Amino acid sequence: MALSYSSPTALQPPPYREAESAILSSAIKHVPVHGFTQQALNLGAKDVGYLDISTNLFPRGAYDLVLYHLVTQRLALKHRIQFPEGQSIGVGRKVKSLILERLRANIDTGVLPRYQEALGLMSLAENIPSSLRELGLLSDEIWYLAGDTSVDSSWYTKRASLSGVYAATEVFQTTVDQSSDLKDTEEFLDRRLEEVRVVGSAVGGFGQWVGFQAGAFVNLARSKGVRI
Amino acid sequence: MSAAVPRAAKRLRLAPSRSWVCSECRRSFASSVRQRQQQPGQEDKTTHFGFETISESMKASKVAGVFSSVASNYDAMNDFMSLGIHRLWKDHFVRSLNPGVQYASVHDQQEGQRILDIAGGSGDIAIRMLDHATNINKDNKTHVTVSDINPDMLAEGRKRLSATSYQADGRVDYLEANAEDLSAVQSGSIDLYTVAFGIRNFTHKDKALREAFRVLKPGGVFACLEFAPQLSNPLFNAVYKRWSFSAIPLIGQIVAADRDSYQYLVESIERFPSQPEFAQMIKEAGFLIPGQKPDGTSIEGGWEDLSMGIAAIHKGVKPL
Repeated sequence: MALSYSSPTALQPPPYREAESAILSSAIKHVPVHGFTQQALNLGAKDVGYLDISTNLFPRGAYDLVLYHLVTQRLALKHRIQFPEGQSIGVGRKVKSLILERLRANIDTGVLPRYQEALGLMSLAENIPSSLRELGLLSDEIWYLAGDTSVDSSWYTKRASLSGVYAATEVFQTTVDQSSDLKDTEEFLDRRLEEVRVVGSAVGGFGQWVGFQAGAFVNLARSKGVRI
Repeated sequence: MSAAVPRAAKRLRLAPSRSWVCSECRRSFASSVRQRQQQPGQEDKTTHFGFETISESMKASKVAGVFSSVASNYDAMNDFMSLGIHRLWKDHFVRSLNPGVQYASVHDQQEGQRILDIAGGSGDIAIRMLDHATNINKDNKTHVTVSDINPDMLAEGRKRLSATSYQADGRVDYLEANAEDLSAVQSGSIDLYTVAFGIRNFTHKDKALREAFRVLKPGGVFACLEFAPQLSNPLFNAVYKRWSFSAIPLIGQIVAADRDSYQYLVESIERFPSQPEFAQMIKEAGFLIPGQKPDGTSIEGGWEDLSMGIAAIHKGVKPL
């Protein structure tokens, strides 16, 4: 078996210190009632024996609670879904089921009704860099778990397009979807993935066309005696 | 009696009044320890008082001399020197700490926080803490102990706090104590320990940090607002040093008729550890630094720079 250069996330140190993950993991249980707020953090701290004031451990307040949800659910994704060995499932289908599984985590943790608050916090100017970074890490994780090993320039376009698709689908799930078991979201996701495929092949076709035209132009110029 | 203290302290001060300004600027970038007018006993340990080196036993009394002489016009001087910005820093400091028990009504025990404001003689921080707890968090129980080593500064704070309703409500009391030995305060009794523009003057900062760790409850917070010795941007740093070494002693001379005390002020800023060093000291005292990674290597985000790093807020949480 070929060794992968990207190290599996399992080998990385835990993302939070003991005290932090104790407070945050109990605070996230208060989110369905109190939302992504300082109060959820305070209550979480009290649950595990800390004080209200101890939430000074989190310099960004409620946004640290949002980040905790994003980080822990990203790391939990590999335990939530197991692809059967031996069967060949296309990378595209794997990506789709990984995205849906990650979106299901928003429901399972009970934060979905409050998720607009999280999206709001993520969109604040000072938080945008770290939320984009987290989005990038998630799409990297999804491509890794889907078994994609490409190391060419498509590494970037894959992650960029998946980030866009995921962000759009998550907003749809949070704001529009009223159906049971993510039915509407799944259809929405299908349409977005199809768009990526169509746009991707159009871009690829256009690139091919540009390359052909350029080659033809060079040859034309050479036939006229230009030294290229 | 108390009027005799500053005069006596002034007599103790040994620094010759430095006459001209530019030599001070140059000195700040040149070698650090230059003079040693006083010969401390050979076995006596030394520390720094501004750019002077003095024996450790002398430092507390010399600092006392400085603050006794500046106590009466402390506020006006702060406004002149920082162009009023020190008020914004203090407001931000208190707001970021969010003192007071939020939604006190939802908890069974109607108990506010115990806040210990070290070197808080002027009462600046205490009043802001109580205002924030009362007006923002609707907490009428939180109590502040204002502690200062200097009775003159403490008298200033007492004067100011007696004008508020907090004094009458019994939500504030006063303690004259050295922050390196808070034996009057029980171990594990304090929710929030703050020190704003004070820790710079302590003889043994590590001892004071350990004492803070002792008096705090598990989960309690140590918070410190202090000047930083260097700005990260070298250009702004040069401008800022020019301001602090030429303007501040001059303003001190004009407004408070006391050049030496303000000369000490800027020199003591120069001698204070940089943000990463001080964060490391807080960590060594046993605190958890906010925003640090579990491997403990990166202390990025362990402090918050104010006004491009002229001052910084450091925090530490006592683990359970």
